[in-house]
Amino acid sequence: MTEMAMSEAISAAAADVLETMFFSPVMGEAAGDGAVPAAALAARLRFSGGRSGTFAVRISNSAAENMATNFLGEETEPPTASQVQDVICELTNMLCGSVLSRLDSKAHFDLGRPEPVDPLEAAPPESVSRAFDLGDGEVAVFLHLDLQP
Amino acid sequence: MAYSVLIVDDSQSMRKFVRRVMDLSGFEVGSCWDAANGAEALALLRTHPVDIILTDINMPEMNGEEFVAELERHDAYRAIPVVVVSTDATENRIRRMIQIGARGYVVKPFSPEALRSELERVLGVAHD
Repeated sequence: MTEMAMSEAISAAAADVLETMFFSPVMGEAAGDGAVPAAALAARLRFSGGRSGTFAVRISNSAAENMATNFLGEETEPPTASQVQDVICELTNMLCGSVLSRLDSKAHFDLGRPEPVDPLEAAPPESVSRAFDLGDGEVAVFLHLDLQP
Repeated sequence: MAYSVLIVDDSQSMRKFVRRVMDLSGFEVGSCWDAANGAEALALLRTHPVDIILTDINMPEMNGEEFVAELERHDAYRAIPVVVVSTDATENRIRRMIQIGARGYVVKPFSPEALRSELERVLGVAHD
């Protein structure tokens, strides 16, 4: 599985998931040097099955809060911090499923539960990553496949 | 006609989202119940009859596959149509869930129209 294939799967999944489920269309690639935003949330999960690995999402706070508002439909009350983190975990879950299904629609895989992580430590080592501009912030997606025995 | 619905997912946000999307799609929801896993859903079904169940697969305590299999074992629940709502779009998983008793399958991400279409297909309802 090539890095290009993984990168393209991430890009396609991000566009699909973010617009369809979170009403947060991707405006383009994120500008900048890939540094971690000052205020951000992150979530990570492990997956196993046909391939095993780690999948993570890091998102700036502003984008996360707007995304949670869109997802939950909270027009009068802003989402709580717990709700925002729950939504980001769900985003991680959906993105991972979408990416893995695009990489191999015939494989079997099991997703672990996404867990909140320190944004500074979200990116698995030697992962393929893409970062996207959402207009109100950035989201970065990381995919690491374990070496096959 | 308004339908009584049970939504089963370990994410409270996702349960809320599914309810919201059903409303956005125009699918008429009468009573709506939710549970965080299959075991909770079974307990709820004892006292709350429903017309249709939407369930995730990956849940603690009793996952979606175990839940659907358990529904098939009970005369009282076997006739309730189940629609799986999952991130897993692989052929093997979809085939497996249908084999054990699910009548429909919706892959995340999904649009309101796609969700309503699958619910109505499973219920045998013509779309207006």
